[in-house]
Order: sequence, then structure tokens, then C-alpha cells
Amino acid sequence: MEDQMKSLLRQLVRRIPIRFLKVTLEKWGRLTVAQQQNIDFTQTKWALADELIAYSEENRLTLRHITELEMIYVIDNPNQGMWHAFQLVDPESDAPAVELMQFKEQFKSHLNELVRNVSVKMKKNTDEAVWIRIAWGDSCSRPNNMRPTYVVHYLQTPYVFVTRLTSKQKTLLSQAMIIATRHQAIKDAHLSGRNFSAIRDLLMQEYEQVFPAKYPSALVERNQIAALPNIEREQAEAEVNRLQMACEAFGGGKLPQLQSVVYKLETKFKDPSNQTFTEREKPFNCVVTFTSKNLLESLRHCASSGIASTPITPLLSSIPRRGRNYFVITDKVSGPSSQINPTV
Amino acid sequence: MCFRRSSVWIGVAKMVPARQKSVARTPNSVVQRKSKIKSYRQSYQSMTAASRLCLTRALTSLWLNTSRTAPKSDNILDKVDPRQLASLMKTEWQLSYVTPLYQFRYTQLKSYSRQLSAFMAAEKEQVEDGATQNFKVSFSVVHGLVETDYDAETILIQIYSKSFFAGQNEHQKPVWKGWLACVNGNRDYINSLPKEFISLPLFGSSGTEALTALVKSWFQKNFDCCFGSLEINHISLQWLVALWTNYHAESNIKQLQMIWTLPVQPLLQVSYAVNPVDAWELWCSVKGDQPELVDLSAGSLSSVSTALGSAKCRGQIKISNSKCMTTTLTLLTECALLKMPI
Amino acid sequence: MNKQQVDIFPTKQGDGRPLNMEPAKGVLSHLSALEVRARSRQVQPRQRSRVEELRARAEALTVQRDRLKAEIHAHKGIEKHKTRLNNRGAAAAEEEMETEDNENEQLLHLIARVMDLKQLLYAHHIIGGYDITKTRRGKGICVTLSTAYEGVYLETYNMELDVGPTLKISRHNVPPFIPLGELCEPAGRQKDLRGFLDPLLTRLNAFAGRRQQLRLVKELHPSVTVMESNMLCSILVILLSTPREKTTLLCTLNYTDHTRCLPTGVHFDCEDKKLLESSKWKNNRKLLMETPVHKALGAMKNMDCIG
Repeated sequence: MEDQMKSLLRQLVRRIPIRFLKVTLEKWGRLTVAQQQNIDFTQTKWALADELIAYSEENRLTLRHITELEMIYVIDNPNQGMWHAFQLVDPESDAPAVELMQFKEQFKSHLNELVRNVSVKMKKNTDEAVWIRIAWGDSCSRPNNMRPTYVVHYLQTPYVFVTRLTSKQKTLLSQAMIIATRHQAIKDAHLSGRNFSAIRDLLMQEYEQVFPAKYPSALVERNQIAALPNIEREQAEAEVNRLQMACEAFGGGKLPQLQSVVYKLETKFKDPSNQTFTEREKPFNCVVTFTSKNLLESLRHCASSGIASTPITPLLSSIPRRGRNYFVITDKVSGPSSQINPTV
Repeated sequence: MCFRRSSVWIGVAKMVPARQKSVARTPNSVVQRKSKIKSYRQSYQSMTAASRLCLTRALTSLWLNTSRTAPKSDNILDKVDPRQLASLMKTEWQLSYVTPLYQFRYTQLKSYSRQLSAFMAAEKEQVEDGATQNFKVSFSVVHGLVETDYDAETILIQIYSKSFFAGQNEHQKPVWKGWLACVNGNRDYINSLPKEFISLPLFGSSGTEALTALVKSWFQKNFDCCFGSLEINHISLQWLVALWTNYHAESNIKQLQMIWTLPVQPLLQVSYAVNPVDAWELWCSVKGDQPELVDLSAGSLSSVSTALGSAKCRGQIKISNSKCMTTTLTLLTECALLKMPI
Repeated sequence: MNKQQVDIFPTKQGDGRPLNMEPAKGVLSHLSALEVRARSRQVQPRQRSRVEELRARAEALTVQRDRLKAEIHAHKGIEKHKTRLNNRGAAAAEEEMETEDNENEQLLHLIARVMDLKQLLYAHHIIGGYDITKTRRGKGICVTLSTAYEGVYLETYNMELDVGPTLKISRHNVPPFIPLGELCEPAGRQKDLRGFLDPLLTRLNAFAGRRQQLRLVKELHPSVTVMESNMLCSILVILLSTPREKTTLLCTLNYTDHTRCLPTGVHFDCEDKKLLESSKWKNNRKLLMETPVHKALGAMKNMDCIG
């Protein structure tokens, strides 16, 4: 246990940039004021870790306290590694009544039933998010605290966000999760990315959505186009119209920083001028990836500038509308054009 | 999925007008260096432009066909020392074009090695005062990496750092590599050069920019030549896709990836990764069209890659299979000749 | 207004000390009162600036009065136009006879019309009307659902619906903890728009109300600590302190009926069991069950039950 504590603390010091370390230690509050003031943040990280180990031993801190420090850091800096979204389905009638204490107890006890050696720590954030840290072990090994899984869930919502999870752990987590939240199943939401808040905001509808409203929207007012010659005016109107459609499809203002979308095409090739290929029975396999610093904003610009045609194809507008960024596109058996088939 | 306007799968006949367009679009270079002897100004561009005007379509496509299909003597490994070939492969090269070299002698490579080492030592000292790092330069000829009798043999330059591994040249890795080549250079153009000039229009470098700059400036001083950046435009990139895909029957290209960059805020990259069998079959059936997500013609093809090699629009090339070495270099030699200032 | 009066007729000196002393306190206090008065004379310049301040305020108030007068005048004009709008036949004849400033007249007319429409819209909302826009040439509709609590407009939610053989939601910005499918699906199948929207709006309004109450608890009662809450605002655990008994109480409010703003259960936890059995706290429990929590806490504070 002692060793695990030391190596976890060392790993943490290595991971946390110096500029965050001070604040994180203050939030942690396990060091005395004198100890905190004593820390020399200019020394090497190795020496810094030695100093913190010494203080931790002095204050008789345990592994549990160090995992607390890790959680504080991860909650404040969640954009590390890939986050995957899952969706709980088929809620039981008592699902809306699940509250934190009950959830905590149920989740822990069910996970412990499934895996003998597992260590779970939960912390509720100020924004009502429940952060769960799981260190996995198995029947013969102790929980590995060096590579924990992180799970974020907002009670009463169907979404679960997970990072660092193996497929074997996924089965276990899914079971514990559906029992604790009173649901019957959980499925892949086909949304993933490095920016945690982007994924959360997209699914929790926490961004400005634009709807066709009866009253002139702020958007049109912002782009007043009075007193222009007719042709320019017509163009300007088309432009405003395109912008409105682009915003209705992707949202207004600042958009969640999603960085990529993947379309896996398994469609039959269609081109009247290419007989050989069109007659081919096998589908055409191709993976199309869109990447950008802010994909939704790029796509909105594509639509408003005419690079993507309006009305916007559901292939693109499905990203915010259905909250996913992985699509498998296959031919509908009888349909005329390619379409999105959710792979559940 | 959307090659409608920016069709990669264009047949040879269709390619001709496109290539002529690329001639017209080639910007006159900014390099305006006054040379003692100006004869190389009778440039490739003016000649090819004129000849292309007279050529019939059939002739042009024949010419393109001969230059674009796999070379007659198929196996490059029969011609070139595999060790030398290996040093050219699997490295990403930054390309430049070079104007013809004045009084470059293949017999003096040893002396060039010494001269460049000395030059670098002197220049380095000026830049970083009192730097102790010393370089050892080696010039060598890559025999056989040519297609015609008119092509000048390829030169390979390798720079080693002396300070770290003094005395064990055998297994030492160079800190900088570069080469000058001419594969299937236009015969009329090469013949038109005065005798004292050698045309090695394609220059590839791999290493720090500072070292590249030093090498370039030594060449400029000694052989009265000049260098310019060689971007691989969208059409050449498409040609490379076509070339590499064509090899799929012989050696697996694994996956064909093409990346477009679209000028929106923030910048959007669209990458297509195509299953190799499909890409090859598509190439065989020549032309393709798929439903569009966004209009890619608004953007530009910025990078293409297969297991055989990769190329980026900013002028980086990597060749990972010796089979397509000659064809790729042929295309790039032509690009370099076209890019050269009048 | 009360506060302003205090400022205009100050009962305190500039330094904040009370002037009139209680007579019963003897010689010493009298002396000190005299001392205070003597000192206050030395602060004459300060008093002068105070006079200037008051003069400026008086001026500002005069300006405000004039503006209000003008507003009343305009309002009267608007009212006149409104009545005229309502019986248009008579108005047409009357308008001919008007010789007032034309431009001003038109403006007043427009203002009157806007106010009229706003009132109509308000009435439309009051009787349970929805704001609906046709989209995609009638293939869809966009519904705006406005929530309000105690006369304050809160979040507005939107939904785009496909109007086919059944009503289907194509997109919306309703938070994920509102069970849209469960609420809307049965009515949607029968194409019953009202049956579709009414229960949803009730839920949204109740949620907005509970959330607003939580906001107000945090804002108005800094001495009350919120220990636990959730996104749906269906549970609220607060820590109360009692100033008299010097103890703390944990109060849990459960809102299991998600269509209402009031709790379905209130539970206290305290070490002092006797305290919980007192009629005072039994009353408090009743108060919390029947009154919005921020108001109930206010009342409890006034009764000195909590600090």
C-alpha cells in the first residue's frame, strides 16, 4: 500500500503542470499551511515529489488521500485522453427518484459483487456531476491505482461519460451502472473526443440552439441588410438565409469544441458513367474523417458560405441533432440513396 | 465519396488539358538572380509550352503515357545499389527545385565533401559563437537512378556530426541527408543547356532547416545556381494517387488516404481513407462519383498517402517502396523543371 | 421610496451618530451629548457638501417628474388611439378631423398597436396558447415553450416537430432529464398536439419554478447551506441553524411529483429530538410543505426559528 501511494503521488506530480500544482494542492487541503508555503516549486519534479512524499508521511496520509488529489486535478482538467459517451435506455419507473446516497451505495456494492478487487471513489462536483474513479483489479491482483477509469454521470439524465476503459471493464461498469441508475440497458452513444465539456454540452443541450421562430431572430437583426441595391440585396438575403439555416443545423454562438467526425461508408457505388463499378455487388468501402479545431463551427461556416449546400444534408446535421460523431452509412435495402444507419 | 469536381480518377486524355493549365498557372519565380552565363534561361517552360501548343492530343498522351507508366527496365533493384536506395526511402523529404549547376564535376566529389565541411564549420562559428560541433560531409553518386542517357546521375549528400561518434562512421546515422536528382528530364531542355551546366532540378532534404540553408548557400556560391520551394500542387498530388494506386496489383497499398483542407473558420480537414481493393478497382474503372457532403473543390488537396508513399502539398514526399521510385521521381522532376524561373 | 425619504430628511448626522439623546441617562451622558454636538459644528464643510448633494438630487427628481408627466401624456394619447383602434369605423371618421402633428400621430398609432398586440399575446399565453411556427412548408412546426415563475419569465425551450401521420420530435433543446419520449409519445401517436404539449409545459414550468426557488434560497438566505440538490431539482437538503437552541438541523425536501413546485415530503434531522417534536417545528414543517421554500425560510427567519 505504501509503495502504491508513493508511486501514485510521483505519477501525479509528473502529470500535473507546475502552474496547476499549487492550486490543486491548496484545494486538496491535506497539507498544513506551513508545509504548503515551504514547497519550492522551482525544483525538479522528482525532488518536488520527494518533498510531497515526506509531507504525506508526516501527515500520515494514505493512498485514499492521494486518489483524492488526483480526482481534484482530473475534475478541473478533464481534457486528457479520449472520452466516450454512453446512453442509458429503458428506465424503470423509479429511475427519476434515484438520489446520490442511494446511487453511491448501489453502484459500489454491485461493482464489488462483480469484481472482488476494485476500489471506487466518488465525488460530486458543484455542477451536479457525479465523478467516479475506479481502480480495477481482479481476483488475484489488487486494484491498479495507476490507471484508473473515470466515469461522469449526471443523475436523472441518460448519459454516462467514460475515459480509460477496456472492453472487459466496460461490461462490468455497464452492469453496475444500469442497476444503480435503475435502467434496463446501456448503449454506445457513438460520441467521443478529447474535449470532455464539448461532449457533455452536446448531449446535455448546453449550447445555443437556433430555431425557426415567428419573431425576427437576433441573427437577422444583427445582419441588417437595409438600403442595398436590388441584386446585392437579393444576394445578401440569400446569405442571411444560408446563415440562418447553418445556425439552425449546427447552433449559434460559440459551439462545443468537437474535433472530429467519422463516416464509415459501406455504400454501393453509384455513377451512371461508370458501369463496371455501379454494377459491382460489393459496397464501396471508404472512411471519411472531418477534423478541425472546432468541427461544428467549421461546418457551420461551410454551410453559411455555400461550401456545403443548403438544405444541409442529414449526414452533417445529425452530428449535433443526434449528438454523435461516428456514423456507419449503409444502403437502405429499398431506399434510393445512402442513409445513416445507427449501429447499436 | 465526392470526387465529382476534384476528380482523382481522371483518364490520361482528360489529364492533358489539366496539365496545360498547370503550366499556365505556374507562377514565375521570385528568384531574380543575375547569372554570369544566362543560357539556361532558354528554359524548359518556354520550350514545352511552345511544343505543347503544336502537339496533337494523341501525341501528348503518348508522351505522357511513356513517361507515366512503369519504366521499361522494371526492377530498379537491378540498377541501383540497394543500400543506397534504402537511404533514399522511408524518409520524408522536403523538396526544392534547383537551377542547373555550373561546372559541377562528378570527379571532384571528395573535394566537395571537404569544402562543404569547412564551409559549414566556418558558417556555424559565425552563427553560434564558439560552437564546438563539427560536421563531416560525404558526397556520393547513386549510380543507376536515371532513366535516359540525358539524365545526370543522382547525388547523395550526408552530413554526420563529428562530436558525438568520432571515428565510427560505419553505423553512424547522418544528422542531415539530401539529394539532387534528374529522372526522365526533358531531353530537349537538357540538350539546350551549354556544356558547362548540369541539370539536377530536384533537390530533397531531410534534417534541420539551418543545415539545409547552409548546404543550399554553399551550392549557390560554388555552382552559381539557385533554389526555390517546390510545392506539389493538387493535380500532381492526384497524379501520385493514380501512380501509386496502379501498383496495388503488385504490392499492397494497404490504404489510400487523401486529405483536403477547406478554407473555413476554423480550418476544416476532410480525409478520405479508401479500402485498397476498392481504390484499385475504382482506378481500373477510371472515374468516380459519390454523393457529396461538402464541395471539396472549394478547398485543396493537401496530402495523399498509401503504403507506397506519401506526399503533401507543401512539398514533402516520402517513398516507401522501391517499385514506384522511378515513376514518382519522374513526376517530381517534371514539376521541378516547370517551377524553374525563366 | 422609503429609503429615499430617509435620505432626504436625515435623522442622523453626517458622522452617523444619533442627535437626540435620551434624557434619563444623567449628567455624563448629557455632557457627552454636548460634546458630540460641539464636534458636529466643526464638520460644517461636510454638511455643506451634503446640502449640495441634496440639491442635486432634488434636481434629478424634478427631471424625473417631468419625464413621468410626459409619459403619462403620451400614454393618454396611446389609450385614445387604442380605443379608436378597437372601434375602427368611428375612428376613420375621427381621424379625418385630426389636425395634430402627423408624424407624432403615426408613431403613437404604432405604439398603440404594438401594445395592443403584446396584450393579446399575453392573453394568448394566459389561456394556455402556444407559439407555433410552420416550418418546411408545413411539413413541420416549431413550438416555443416559455416558462415562468411568480411572474418572472425564465428559460424558453423549443421543439421542432414533424407533422406526419404521427407527431414526432425532430429536434429540441429540452434538458435530458425531462422524459420527453415518455411524456409525448402516446399523444404524438394520436396527433393530439395539446395532449402532447400540455404535460410537457407543466413539467417544464414546475422544473423552472423549483430551480428558481433554489436560486432564491442561495441568494436570499446566505446563512442556509445547501447540502444536496440535483439537476432536476427534485431533492433539496439544507442545513439550518437555530439561534435560540444553538443547534443545527438537516432539512430534506423531496419533490417526487415533478409537475409541482412544492415538495411532497419534508423531513428534519436533528440531535435534539425534543426540538423536532415542538409545535413550532411541526408548524415549520407544514410551512415548508405549503409555501415555496425560499419564502418559508424567510418566514422562519422572521419568527427567529432559524439564523
